[in-house]
Amino acid sequence: MTGVPLAEIEVGTHTTVEFLGLTFNIDTIISTVIVGIVVILLGFFLRSQVTSKAVPGRIQLFWETLVGAIQGQVEQLMGVSVAPYTVPLGVALFLFILFCNWIELIPTQHHLPAPTADANTTWALALLVIIWVHVASIRRNGAGRYFGHYAKPLVGLLPLNVVEELVKPVSLSLRLFGNIFAGGIMISIIGLLPGAVLWLPHGLWTLFDLFVGVIQAVIFTLLTITYFSLQLAPGEGH
Amino acid sequence: MNTSVMAAGNFLIPNGTFIAELIAFLIVLFVLWRYVVPPVSKAMSDRQAMIKAQLDEGREASERLKQAEADYRSAMEEARTTAATIRDQARADAAAIREEMLEQAVQERDRVLESGREQLQHERDALVRQLRAELGELAVELASRILGESLAEEARQRGTVDRFLAEVQAAESGTAGAGGRR
Repeated sequence: MTGVPLAEIEVGTHTTVEFLGLTFNIDTIISTVIVGIVVILLGFFLRSQVTSKAVPGRIQLFWETLVGAIQGQVEQLMGVSVAPYTVPLGVALFLFILFCNWIELIPTQHHLPAPTADANTTWALALLVIIWVHVASIRRNGAGRYFGHYAKPLVGLLPLNVVEELVKPVSLSLRLFGNIFAGGIMISIIGLLPGAVLWLPHGLWTLFDLFVGVIQAVIFTLLTITYFSLQLAPGEGH
Repeated sequence: MNTSVMAAGNFLIPNGTFIAELIAFLIVLFVLWRYVVPPVSKAMSDRQAMIKAQLDEGREASERLKQAEADYRSAMEEARTTAATIRDQARADAAAIREEMLEQAVQERDRVLESGREQLQHERDALVRQLRAELGELAVELASRILGESLAEEARQRGTVDRFLAEVQAAESGTAGAGGRR
């Protein structure tokens, strides 16, 4: 249709496996498993040498920085005691998303795509978070106050409040997906350049992707904590 | 199972991968929640507590040091005051003792002088008395021998001698008073 050889750019294609009547994007799943193993190993490595008496190692400092930052964020927005589970959730989300974003940067001829460039992953994370938020809110505020919030401050704003809640998982999921997916598309497009000039834009874009990977992980984690705090913060929800 | 490469119809619609991704994340979440975040949190709060304890200890130690310095300074001050008091006391005592000894010496001297003077007086009186008795007889004898007349009348005899002796004493007391003051 156009002059660009689009056929050479594979967008949103995956190696799939049919199992129990469902389609599985096996490349995404393999990447995810690798990411999961890396994160868990990082965790167990920490566990093996965590210390509170001696000088902490680099791994421990990394974990402490991360946990400390998320604890600080939760404390600032609603108080850790209100929802202590948001700390491990935030830590897990940040690390999982970060490594999901970064795994794409390992040059493997697209055998290991970023799991977050697959909408399945981002939908899974976003829906988990949003459902958790609503469940937590009902458990903390009670069903009456929870549903009452939708009619505040005015009953007429009820549709707007409902739409706001419905949009949250969509925006949360598609923001992450879009950013990382676009990174992959850019890599593919840059890959069309002749080899002699390929390295410069490729290198620059890889650096930028590293940055985007961190930023998107931070945004997802921060928004998760924010959504929890909006529903759970002492005093007022919305 | 069949493996195939196919272009997804709409890549925004989730498929079975959704479940796999959800499970994968839940496993990661479980592991981090259960095994990783608690020890990290504990290490952080432990270290915080340790640093706090050390800071408190340091503050306490410096306070103790300050207290000790103040104690030392006040003890020094006290010792200095005591020393000064003792010195002043000693000086005052020394002065008092010297004064007293001087006083005693003066008294002793005065006493010795007085007793010496009294003894002299006594001796002189005794001498005078003796002289008076002897002189009277001597003079009468002399006079009777010279005049050849017996002075039998006691009253006259006594009056003449007394007059003579008073004259002698008056002349002598002028010389004795000047000599006694020396």
